[in-house]
Amino acid sequence: MQNNKIHSLLVIIILFLAWEISFHLLNLKWYLLPPPSMILVSILNNAHLLFLSLLTTLKIAIVALILSVIVSTSFSIVFYFSKFIERSLTPITVILQVTPIIAIAPLISIWVDSSEIATLICAFLVAFFPLLANTIAGFKSTEKKHLELLRLYGANKYQILRFVVIPNALPYFLSGLKISSGLALIGAIVGEFVIGPISGHSGLAYRIIESGYQLDIPKMFGAVFLISLSGIMLFNLVRLISYLILRKWHSSYQQVD
Amino acid sequence: MGLRILSEKERQKNIDDNESNLIAQLQGVSKKFKSTKNESLHDINLEVYQEDFLSILGSSGCGKTTILKMMCGLIKSTAGKINWPTSNFQNSSENPANLSFVFQEPNLLPWMNVYDNIKLPLKIYKENSYKADENIYDIIKLVGLEGFEEYYPRQLSGGMSMRVSIARALVTQPKVLLMDEPFSALDETRRFDLSQEILKIKKEKKLTVVYVTHSIYESVFLSNRIYVMQSNPGKIFEEFDFSNQEKPEDYRFTPQFFEQTKIVSDSLKRAQNAE
Ligand SMILES: Nc1ncnc2c1ncn2[C@@H]1O[C@H](COP(=O)(O)OP(=O)(O)O)[C@@H](O)[C@H]1O
Ligand SMILES: [Mg+2]
Repeated sequence: MQNNKIHSLLVIIILFLAWEISFHLLNLKWYLLPPPSMILVSILNNAHLLFLSLLTTLKIAIVALILSVIVSTSFSIVFYFSKFIERSLTPITVILQVTPIIAIAPLISIWVDSSEIATLICAFLVAFFPLLANTIAGFKSTEKKHLELLRLYGANKYQILRFVVIPNALPYFLSGLKISSGLALIGAIVGEFVIGPISGHSGLAYRIIESGYQLDIPKMFGAVFLISLSGIMLFNLVRLISYLILRKWHSSYQQVD
Repeated sequence: MGLRILSEKERQKNIDDNESNLIAQLQGVSKKFKSTKNESLHDINLEVYQEDFLSILGSSGCGKTTILKMMCGLIKSTAGKINWPTSNFQNSSENPANLSFVFQEPNLLPWMNVYDNIKLPLKIYKENSYKADENIYDIIKLVGLEGFEEYYPRQLSGGMSMRVSIARALVTQPKVLLMDEPFSALDETRRFDLSQEILKIKKEKKLTVVYVTHSIYESVFLSNRIYVMQSNPGKIFEEFDFSNQEKPEDYRFTPQFFEQTKIVSDSLKRAQNAE
């Protein structure tokens, strides 16, 4: 594990070095492909601006993610108790899911005044459905033998939910959360692209657009770089949560010695 | 006296003589699953008496598990009657505390440690305001799991998982224990050790045990009564009773044991030929 991490870090460093060296050897144009050093300098020069934008984008992605967690868990629980509601709502969720966010974003920006909330809705819509689908799949994957055990002792539906259905669904939910963490960020970026700069302090997507206007390519790369970085951070945060919850019992965290 | 096949007449006499000891009775019970064309079980008549160690012996697929699940109400029968004269286990709204079930595989919840797995039935009972004594540590000691309370199922061997499963079944202090081939996944020595422990626990707690198995040796070694089954559809083929026979300490190695194994084995063979 540790070795693996060092390995991938090494590969990244080598790639950056190769990029830097080839820039100088091949005499590339800095306004087309700036070298890593120049991007770093640009990030440092615009540190304050970029950092605040990073916060804005991250905030939207994280809030969208939290909303997705709350809503998809609630939906799953409601569906668990009522097959009727599940059957009525499933077609609607499918329709919403297959409609591309780019297509709905302009509508959202018309309906909602605040560009921040409009972007949040975009990010939420993108992050929500995979999480819902995974959580529902988790709820439905309850093993018959576990249900029989609980029924044997006269457990009611609520007890079955707590003791068996939810713990059993956790791995599914958490792998859905990994997918959604990336999507929430994509939603936050795409949303801002389509809807326009977020009120308050604009996010990283607007920094990219703005750098384009200013022909400040290193800054553009800086913003892209920060987006990737925040994606990695979000993903690892979810991975950590997943590890903390599942490490004791789930087979995917089996210690190998 | 020894072991012998009961005739229908003797069976009826047995029922009349022991009526006050009757714990459970299946009368003409049949089962047809919706998804299958034919009946899986046909006209099962079976009695369980107080402190019996009753074995249901039959080849795999003959319907042994289905019988047990019908007895505890997990599966509904399609015909016939299942009576529990002294208590009502059928109705899941009643306190089912007098009855426990040991599944064919340990059936532990992987997200709970040993302690919580064992405690689960008590937790459910308490929340549903049935009476429940906290005796978890006594049970853990009884099945030899001291020191493993914090372990999770994936860290346990097959034998230990089965012990947890048995402990969970015992924690509600049942009067009747239904066991579905509990040791079939274990190697022979573990199997023997655990069977002996079960006998000891049965004696100590005055349990009535209904034990499903496909092992002739196990059924002869453990039980005082045996039902031999035939399949397609599942039926009771013959019934053996050797209640009034004392089993010596080293029963497993006596000529008597081998003789009786032979008798039961012949019966099982005839059951298979009769299909
Ligand atoms: N849920 C079910 N649906 C349909 N058929 C079943 C079901 N459970 C068991 N059966 C059938 O009933 C028969 C008896 O099964 P079972 O009681 O599990 O046998 P045993 O425990 O003796 O191996 C088998 O033929 C099996 O296919
Ligand atoms: Mg079976």
